[in-house]
Amino acid sequence: MKKKSFLWGLLLALIVAAGLLLYGKLGRGEGMVAVVSVNGEVLERIDLSKVREAYDLDVATDFGRNIVHVEPGAISVTHADCPDQICVMQGKLSSNGIPIICMPNRLVISIEGGDIDG
Amino acid sequence: MGKTKKLALMALLTAIALTIFVIENQIPAPVPVPGVKLGLANIVTLITMKLLGKKEAGAVLLVRILMGTMFAGSPSTLLFSAAGGVLAFLVMCLTLRFFGDDQLWIVSALAGLAHNAGQLLACMLVVKTPGVLAYAPVLAASGVITGVFTGLAAQFLLKALKKAKL
Repeated sequence: MKKKSFLWGLLLALIVAAGLLLYGKLGRGEGMVAVVSVNGEVLERIDLSKVREAYDLDVATDFGRNIVHVEPGAISVTHADCPDQICVMQGKLSSNGIPIICMPNRLVISIEGGDIDG
Repeated sequence: MGKTKKLALMALLTAIALTIFVIENQIPAPVPVPGVKLGLANIVTLITMKLLGKKEAGAVLLVRILMGTMFAGSPSTLLFSAAGGVLAFLVMCLTLRFFGDDQLWIVSALAGLAHNAGQLLACMLVVKTPGVLAYAPVLAASGVITGVFTGLAAQFLLKALKKAKL
């Protein structure tokens, strides 16, 4: 019983260690194109390398409202009407990084490589 | 246990789970990672399963998720809570018999892992962005940590309840 507990503890500790070590290393998008989508539908594709002046994007949908701040080389969420404010706390997303997510409003901002067609 | 006593106990446990759920929702997120939370209401699910049984725990869990969404959550997160809750519940049901009363923390850690996996999968299906998977490692870690914590809490509570001869 004691030994079994110990082995499980070890396994669980390994999962925690692996998880914390891998966090931020997997799934980084490389590139300069920010993709803003709500509920799986792409609303905007913005080439961050071509942004000259900062501006705000008002994303208001049936799921909620977020203000997305676009600036040269980076994108962030500055306002969200959801209760948890996690997307605001996630800060700026630039050329590589893991996506910003606002779960209640179903907003995802991720980084993709390549150019925008046209 | 008589039918009436059982029903009353289930109602009480549901009320406790809801209260915990609503209060926990008022606590600001400790880390800027979507989907990370303590999941304290899980203590009640574990306790219910131990005291009354699986069916009863499932009923308490379902009512808690539905009413919790009405009281505290937003309707669009119901899907994520439900996916996580159901998967965690299934894992709990399957693993509980392999572990003793002093190993509830293991059951709970596995359930926490399953909860976050279910939540992430539901999220991925909805937002259709595979990049969301980047959160898998940290959600696995947080599922285990919070699971161990709530499992230990349930373990101590169960011990106390048995001593009190509920």
